[in-house]
Amino acid sequence: MNQENPGNVIEIKNLRMYFPITRGLLRRRVGEIKAVDDVSFAIKKNETLGLVGESGCGKTTTGRCILRLYKPTAGEIRFNGTDISGMNENRLRLFRSNMGAIFQDPYGSLNPRQTARTIVGMPLIVHGMNDKRQQNNRVEELFKLVGLDASMMTRVPHEFSGGQRQRLGIARALACQPALIICDEPVSALDVSIQAQIINLLEELQEKLGLTYLFIAHDLSVVQHISNRVAVMYLGRIIEIANSRELYENPLHPYTKALLSAVPVPNPVIERKRTRTVLKGEVPSPAAPPPGCHFNPRCNLATPDCAESSPELRDTGNGHQVACFKVQA
Amino acid sequence: MLEKTGRDAKPVDLAKWSETAPRYSETKRMISVFAGRPLPVIGFVIIALLILVAIFAPFLAPYPPNQMDIINKLQPPNTTHLLGTDSLGRDTLSRIIYGSRTSLIIGISVIAISSAVGIALGLFAAYFGGVIYHVIMRFMDALMAFPMLLLALLVASLLGAGMKNIIIALGIGMIAAPCRLMCGVVLSVKQNDYVMSARAMGMSNLRLMLQEILPNAFPPLLVMITIGLGAVILAEAGLSFLGIGITPPTATWGGMVNDGYKFVMTSPVLAISPGIAIMLVVFGFNMLGDGLRDALDPKLRGVI
Repeated sequence: MNQENPGNVIEIKNLRMYFPITRGLLRRRVGEIKAVDDVSFAIKKNETLGLVGESGCGKTTTGRCILRLYKPTAGEIRFNGTDISGMNENRLRLFRSNMGAIFQDPYGSLNPRQTARTIVGMPLIVHGMNDKRQQNNRVEELFKLVGLDASMMTRVPHEFSGGQRQRLGIARALACQPALIICDEPVSALDVSIQAQIINLLEELQEKLGLTYLFIAHDLSVVQHISNRVAVMYLGRIIEIANSRELYENPLHPYTKALLSAVPVPNPVIERKRTRTVLKGEVPSPAAPPPGCHFNPRCNLATPDCAESSPELRDTGNGHQVACFKVQA
Repeated sequence: MLEKTGRDAKPVDLAKWSETAPRYSETKRMISVFAGRPLPVIGFVIIALLILVAIFAPFLAPYPPNQMDIINKLQPPNTTHLLGTDSLGRDTLSRIIYGSRTSLIIGISVIAISSAVGIALGLFAAYFGGVIYHVIMRFMDALMAFPMLLLALLVASLLGAGMKNIIIALGIGMIAAPCRLMCGVVLSVKQNDYVMSARAMGMSNLRLMLQEILPNAFPPLLVMITIGLGAVILAEAGLSFLGIGITPPTATWGGMVNDGYKFVMTSPVLAISPGIAIMLVVFGFNMLGDGLRDALDPKLRGVI
């Protein structure tokens, strides 16, 4: 295996996902939406990478590309050294037990016509655990792991609360003992007290089972809490990636600064003195992104040459990478 | 939660409030939902009676269905002929009883053929999309553009009249409706996160269609199937009228309505009584379908 860094569970290189825009009866291709445009990152074993950005910036698409729910337009997705970006459907099906997925909507991600036992046990059946007793034991074990009572196994999703449903989703994701779990906004549909429970559960499980997470979210404080490193996305590109602490204390990219300045501080004295950077304008359409740096029309540091070429991610030391011409290294 | 208010109120023993609700078996719940309301039960009773009558027709009918008695033709209801006799002196009640056999056999076999094919095609079209979707759905459009009677006429002229050919003709003619409905429902069901989650766990296409999508897409079809049964019974009547249906003298309700309406001014019972039989059975199937839909929906647990 030609792996660059053996400690990485997953390595993404130059990932691109373009969705075609078609028009008319003949489905003529009139353009494309560059949902993910040249994204690269890696996640080490046992690490949590937070992926933040506003709606439509491509963070969910990135997650789905890694899960290979989409076939990426270009780029590499190396899982423990194996490139899965071009893998065919049959090989991929067996491979899928290596990755788990937790979805945003705990109401929509569970089949309303199956019992909790079937839902959690389904990955086991799909991946060939045919012995009923073995299955049952594993499901019971998973229930215990996520803090659900085994007596609830015969219930249907409709009979669970939102938090319990998300626990079911987590149990299902864990069923095949995956190395990597893609959490696609796992807590944004829950209320705050339940969010905390679920996040603590995820952290506990990571410690116990040695899991690796890609944690996609838009809530900055949640991401800060759970992530080791955080990547910020804007319009299909990663614009800054750093240690979680480093990013929150010393954001470099003007977009990250604006994002963080929108987070309220729970201290009235500091909150009153705080200066907010309010971004002007709207996020441009990913079908027609601005030339050069995607952020330049809204950036307060932008100069005309920002619209000429797009900045690459470069290291400013300590693994803090930023894609901006104006930031001094 | 407190039993009494005031100073002597005792706090509730939380240990008693277990997290899990008491469980009933799912079958028991379905039966209680189904049997808990009057209309589904009435529907069930009508259909059960229909089936019993069809099976035991020879014992129930007072006369053989095709026994003619020209001297006593067009009699009004009386004690020897409870629903009177038709223009050939045949006993109307006996013919209705025997007619239930024809209606039931044709109704069930046509619906079985058309829904099985229609559901499978609709599921495939919507699940795979793209070229498969367009080929199947354009074919269904073409099928729908043909009036069903015309299609049945075509098939009958190719194959000839008779029960088997009627079933084939109507079966083909009725494929489009369940196919289109299935397609529409599946298109919406497959957008759900649980379908995506099933794909992410590596489920095969066939299993995904049968285990995740079909059970969630089926309830509207259940209603359509039961309503379709009524429609088939009516369509068979129409075909019989055109002379390409069941060949006389076999008793069919539709044929009896069409025979009887010529005498509607003089002996209305002739047309009305088989008409009522058709109506009752269609109503029965509809109520049964409604009841089944509610009983099979786990989202209604605890609501009904």
